[in-house]
Amino acid sequence: MTFVGLPLATLLQIGAAAGAVVVVFYILKLRRRPIAVPFSKIWERILRDKEATSLFSQLKRLLSLLLQLALLALMLAALGDPRMAVNLVESRNIVVLIDASASMKSTDIGPSRIASAKERVKQMVRGLSGSDRMLIAQMDAAVTPLSTMTSEVSDLEAAVAAVAPTDAAADFPKALRFAADTLRGLSRPEVILVSDGALGAASDAGGIVHTGDITVSYVPVGTGGQNAAITNFAVRRYPLDKSRYEVMLEITNTSDQPMEVELSLLGDGTLIDLTRVRLKEKERLPRFYPNLSGASHTLEAKLSLPEGARDTLPADDRAFALLPERRRARVQVVSAGNMFLEAALLLDEYLEVTTVAPAAYPGKGSFEVTIFDGVSPPVTQGSGGLLYLNPTGENLPFTVEKEVTDNDPNNRLGFDEVDTKSPLVRYLSLGEINVGRAHPLKGLKEDKVIGKSYRHGALLLQGRRPGNKFVALGFDLRESDLPLRIAWPVLLLNTIQDFVEEDTSYISSFRTGTVWNIPAPSSAESGTLEMPDGSKRPVPIKDGRAVFLGQHAGFYKLTTGVPGAEETSMFAANLADVTESTIGAAQDVVIDGKSAGPVGEFKIGVRREMWVYLLIAVIIITAIEWATYHLRVTV
Amino acid sequence: MGILDVFKRATSPLSRRLAPLSRRFSAQKTEEDIFDDEFQRKLEILVMVSKRVFSGAMRAERRSKKTGSGVEFADHRDYTAGDDFRYLDWHAYQRFDRLLIRLYEEEEDLSIYFIVDTSSSMGFGDGEKLRQAKRLCAALAYVGLANLDRIAIVAATDEVSGRMPTTRGKARIFRIFRFLKGIRADGVTDLGDAMRTFVAQHKRRGLAVILSDLYDPAGFEAGINVLRYNRFEPFVLHIVDPREAKPDLKGDVRVYDCETGEEREVTVTAKILQRYGQAHEEYLDEVQKFCVSKQVSYFRADVNTPFDELILRVFRRGGFLR
Repeated sequence: MTFVGLPLATLLQIGAAAGAVVVVFYILKLRRRPIAVPFSKIWERILRDKEATSLFSQLKRLLSLLLQLALLALMLAALGDPRMAVNLVESRNIVVLIDASASMKSTDIGPSRIASAKERVKQMVRGLSGSDRMLIAQMDAAVTPLSTMTSEVSDLEAAVAAVAPTDAAADFPKALRFAADTLRGLSRPEVILVSDGALGAASDAGGIVHTGDITVSYVPVGTGGQNAAITNFAVRRYPLDKSRYEVMLEITNTSDQPMEVELSLLGDGTLIDLTRVRLKEKERLPRFYPNLSGASHTLEAKLSLPEGARDTLPADDRAFALLPERRRARVQVVSAGNMFLEAALLLDEYLEVTTVAPAAYPGKGSFEVTIFDGVSPPVTQGSGGLLYLNPTGENLPFTVEKEVTDNDPNNRLGFDEVDTKSPLVRYLSLGEINVGRAHPLKGLKEDKVIGKSYRHGALLLQGRRPGNKFVALGFDLRESDLPLRIAWPVLLLNTIQDFVEEDTSYISSFRTGTVWNIPAPSSAESGTLEMPDGSKRPVPIKDGRAVFLGQHAGFYKLTTGVPGAEETSMFAANLADVTESTIGAAQDVVIDGKSAGPVGEFKIGVRREMWVYLLIAVIIITAIEWATYHLRVTV
Repeated sequence: MGILDVFKRATSPLSRRLAPLSRRFSAQKTEEDIFDDEFQRKLEILVMVSKRVFSGAMRAERRSKKTGSGVEFADHRDYTAGDDFRYLDWHAYQRFDRLLIRLYEEEEDLSIYFIVDTSSSMGFGDGEKLRQAKRLCAALAYVGLANLDRIAIVAATDEVSGRMPTTRGKARIFRIFRFLKGIRADGVTDLGDAMRTFVAQHKRRGLAVILSDLYDPAGFEAGINVLRYNRFEPFVLHIVDPREAKPDLKGDVRVYDCETGEEREVTVTAKILQRYGQAHEEYLDEVQKFCVSKQVSYFRADVNTPFDELILRVFRRGGFLR
């Protein structure tokens, strides 16, 4: 037994002083209040019986003093903070990373892996030694510390209780880096990983995470089980028939045994298709549903075992998608007449084209896209995105350089370099385009060159000015063979769809655990995001995109604008992660080439701080003294 | 004064420290008012009531237990040498062949002695016992004066601490008031010693009315017996304060006798209080039984009962004035 609290000399001084005070008060207690009575003989009569017990009474009074001295001794011992010698170890600093990824929702151990993990951590908290400190952090797509580095059991238990599972994969390297940073410079650092092991490698773009001298322990949770998952789910409308759409989904059997599952597809809540599928072990089965119609907004896929049974991880048995909004884009064509342009615009029936002569610009109403064909009048409000074809003159957001002609047979004028990642030229081959005469374009630094000639410069330029996006093509269609190629209408429609945010790269659902860039009105600076569970939270909007790290699957609703003039858009999010759906529990985790060891040094249910028990003893003895006093046993 | 006393004084509530002072002022005010006009008016009524109760009786012709030369036959006794032959009952001699002397109740002025206990216990608390004793004494004395009796008042503790000589006539009532007002509760009760002094000072036998709480450490019987043995006719007016049966005490206390200073340590509980109440009642009963057994007139006077009502009860009980 060793005292690690106040030194013995101090304890003795305090004990002597307090003991003297106790004795003085005891004596004061014995000095009874004098009360005059008219005739003491009557009192003598009733006290005659008590005479026989006076010795016992004195003993009881002595017992009372001894009880008080015992209380004092217990409190002094508590101040000394006695510890068993075997438990007298240097204090540890521990970061507990609780895996809150989707796989922790598995029910292979009841009630769930996350509940089991929380219980294990609670037991660790209760077994902390008095000098140990611990920090609880939730590990999912982000790392969220839920407590400070503390030894307060109540704070730590509250932090454990606050852990909630998500529908996202865990960012293990980020969590490890957080733990390593937190523990840097602290004594006996230790990371305890409470997880099912579905974490992936402990490395990221920054390289392998080095834990140094930090002890890493691993508490495996879960036993594994049968699981099938929807690992991909996407929908798109046909570009030329927006009333119809096609769905692609992928289902995966992550277990080692074949499974039979029922796959349901619901459009706007109505069952569209129900299929029974037999999956081999570890099989990934893609399925296409072409040429669907009926649903106008939401799509949901559901996976279930026959007879309505559920597999081990229900979180990945549902997937959600939203159909792109179907509406007509209002296009204004400012042209003296261009057959190739007008013909290409006729290909999309969802365009509402208004043609105006250059002198009549602007046309009535507001437009989402305005195409300037060889003209460049001052842009008025309500013109939307601007497509310049063969721009010349002034009022342009870029510079038009002097005319170049295709006069060098060894170096033909055309697109020598194309930004194939740009949605404007997706699926296009512009390398074979021949251009007779062109005006190279020069934009600002932030403008993007989509296609350019090595010799002359940019021929296809994309940029953004306050209030307007623009795309400029540096030559006249009629002086190239572009209109004769399929690339022309596709380029035109891609450009229009890019302006109206309805491009072919429409994302029918986001993936949880990643940062989402959700299309939003560019004028808004913030919006309100309604989560699948109905809760709301503000999100910032930057360059027309709301930025949010989503961790839950389901339908979301983004609202922007002032009250009364709100604009609302919906989108969906899915887990779609085979790693998370593979719920076999790993018994070992390798970090920095080393296996994480088992957890030790937690004696569950025993706080090694004896002063707590001493104070409890004080309280119990005080209660006994109180009860016996009021029952007149010790008086 | 030790440090503990300083501590106790410091921790005692202010009200308790000021209590004796307030009691003294209260007592002084009450002493001034004790024989006010209202009191005197009630005395007149009591006198009228007593006249009705004792109608037919002759002035100064109360029957005393003293046998002598009266006209009303009282008893016989054996003849002894020197007896007056005129009182020999010859008829009895003829029938029983014994010489018997006829005794007659002697008719004379009745002497009434009021013995007021003025020990500290009578002034205990707010002193209501002593005030009640004074009121009763004054009232009975006035009735006696009105009936031409000889009245004397004695203040007694363990000695005769005050004495008002024998007097007659209603006009002397104010002298009685003055005497009673001058009485203060102070001293130790010892009625035995006090009564011995009393009987030595008063040769003329008569009615001796004891107004006391009978809290006599030497025993209440002693004083009564001294009067009995000296042929006085004792009448006990037992002054009782019911609040003393239910003291407002709680917890660990040291009780001390207000007269003797004798101390006892006691932890007062509800059970102890109940037992004390029983013991107090037993003590009162003990006094009453003693008086009854010795044919001593006994009357319990509650301080909470108005004095005139008590006097009427005394009359109805056929008290000492008949």
